[in-house]
Amino acid sequence: MKRTRMTILVVFVLSLLLALPAMTEDAATLLTIYEGPKTMTSSRIASVSANGYDLFVYDVMVNHEHIWNANTQPARTPMTYFDFEGKVRVEITMPGLEKPVESAKVIPQSYGIEPTVRDGVVSFLITEPGQYTVVFNDSVNKALHIFANPLETDVPDPNDPNVFYIGPGEWVMDAIALQDNQTLYISGGAVVHSIVSVANAENVRICGRGIIDGSDYPAWNQPGSYARVPIDLNHSKNVRVEGIILANSNCWNLNSYSSKDVTIDNVKIISGRQNGDGFTFQSCTNHLVTNCFARTWDDSLVLKNYSGSTKGITFRNIQIWTDLAQSMEIGYETDKGWTLDPEISDVLFEDITVLYNFHKPVISIHNSDDAYVHDIVYRNIVVENALMQGDNGNNKELIEMTLLKYGWSTVKDEYGSIDNVLIDGLTVLNTVDGRMPASRFVGHNEKHRITNVTLRNITINGQPITDLKTMKVTINDYCEAITIE
Amino acid sequence: MKNMMIRLLAAAAALVLALCVPAFGLCEETEEITTIVTIVPAPDQTQAERPPCFPDPTENYIPLPETENFAEGKKVISGAHTDVYVNSNVNDGKTDTYWESKGFPAEMVIDLGQTHAVSTVAVCLNPASIWEPRIQEIAVWVSADGESYTEVAAAEKYQFDPATGNRIRIDFDTVDAAFVKVIFTLNSSSRTGGAQAAEICVY
Repeated sequence: MKRTRMTILVVFVLSLLLALPAMTEDAATLLTIYEGPKTMTSSRIASVSANGYDLFVYDVMVNHEHIWNANTQPARTPMTYFDFEGKVRVEITMPGLEKPVESAKVIPQSYGIEPTVRDGVVSFLITEPGQYTVVFNDSVNKALHIFANPLETDVPDPNDPNVFYIGPGEWVMDAIALQDNQTLYISGGAVVHSIVSVANAENVRICGRGIIDGSDYPAWNQPGSYARVPIDLNHSKNVRVEGIILANSNCWNLNSYSSKDVTIDNVKIISGRQNGDGFTFQSCTNHLVTNCFARTWDDSLVLKNYSGSTKGITFRNIQIWTDLAQSMEIGYETDKGWTLDPEISDVLFEDITVLYNFHKPVISIHNSDDAYVHDIVYRNIVVENALMQGDNGNNKELIEMTLLKYGWSTVKDEYGSIDNVLIDGLTVLNTVDGRMPASRFVGHNEKHRITNVTLRNITINGQPITDLKTMKVTINDYCEAITIE
Repeated sequence: MKNMMIRLLAAAAALVLALCVPAFGLCEETEEITTIVTIVPAPDQTQAERPPCFPDPTENYIPLPETENFAEGKKVISGAHTDVYVNSNVNDGKTDTYWESKGFPAEMVIDLGQTHAVSTVAVCLNPASIWEPRIQEIAVWVSADGESYTEVAAAEKYQFDPATGNRIRIDFDTVDAAFVKVIFTLNSSSRTGGAQAAEICVY
């Protein structure tokens, strides 16, 4: 009897100790959801709720054609968003799928979410803000993108004369040009058919939860059309872009040219049209991009030199889905402006998850002009699906660094170099048929070489890689100190 | 008494377990999540509208004379232009096409076809706000024969601003002219190294 009593006492005390933290925490979830514009209808592909509250779902352009096509026709996929703090149970039905949902995956896999699928309803719990993608029936067709934002803070005052405050609803305007010290706020629930230009301006902020939408414009390369860049920074300084979504652009997306001191946080890009690059910077300095998402039909993250050098660029905690071209590209244009001694240096890609790459290299430096590209670090890169099909069998490497001339080269008769590159932590979870993807390094001559490239902590398909041969790395004679640790 | 104590402890343990198990996600399927929700409403709209924070600027446009524009559609003569921004764009009656010179100084001569009494030249850019404010330095000369010109407005810097229609007007004493030459010597825009004009109007 004493033993029984003692056992119950121990169970009681242990239970109390275990339960106390849970019982004392504030259990209420704070959830902000946004009605869609009354001029639009929610997706017929997907229905999504958060803690039982129906969300407005947008169908946005993506592209499943994994080869360049000047007249490509995008597909549509559902996307939704909300803000929260606490816990949210997401429930999804997919009436727009060709067949009922039998299985679902939530990615990135690092979230460790195992959704339940019951009677065609997908359900899972999220406890932290982030970008969540749900893939149904092991097909990327109509994958659902959910942007679960943190609650908004520091919302600008609509009565401030330097604030342009766009509330919920559907809005259209030819263009929005921001000048010194101005703020553009695009509220959740807003769909803005316009473009935002920041030229020769300082201390500018673009923020909110809403959408800049380019679906009104034909693809930029079609007759009579032209590039309508959703956010275009040009010779500007001290610019912040936060929280918004760029969808259906008719060209590239968040462009920065010859600008400096730019911070981009929690910006989500989904594009499916021609030259739909994601975050694309030319000749910029001191840019920090964090907590962002880019699903693109051209390079997802891309650095070039158009007029002057590039220095001090950090991409951190980014999710990428590359339907076309490269995931993290430096090049091809590294001296389009014929600059004296052009460089691209001090670049960091850190905590990057490539959900899918369907086309060309995941990590690439194509120094096709004459720049000195150096001090480039890739740290903790996870590639969930390295499914590069390349172009007619070419350009399907995992890592590619070259000093070759291409159609994009401006400087035809001079070459540059690549030096001091570190790839520390590259994990590839899935490849085409489980095969090892190739990688290659191609220098130009004795004077123009690729030097001091260190690969460390590489794991491909669960196999730790300790030698270049296993990794199918090819190196030509004009490279030195390409090592793996 | 002992039995009562055991029963009480057992009941308490069961209660605590019942509370703590869901808290640790073990009963996630049936968990009720207490939610304080904010639903941000959408306004009543039947079509996409101009955002109210960007009032229509046309009320603030610099007014132009309502008389005939002698320049529209007439022959123009100028030097090299940039890319596809050809000389004839400068008087085609449309502000969404423009002429851009290749460098400075840039002269644009408009052959009015016959002599007119003129007193105003207007230079217009595209009024869209993407055409951010800029300054151009402009002078106006006139001629009766296309060879001998007289200055009617000395070079001066003019502010173009989409808030006022991205247009400027240069007024001068009425003069007879068959040719008007507009001379550009500066453009503050970082996007170009030449003069820009969507329309040059002569009144």
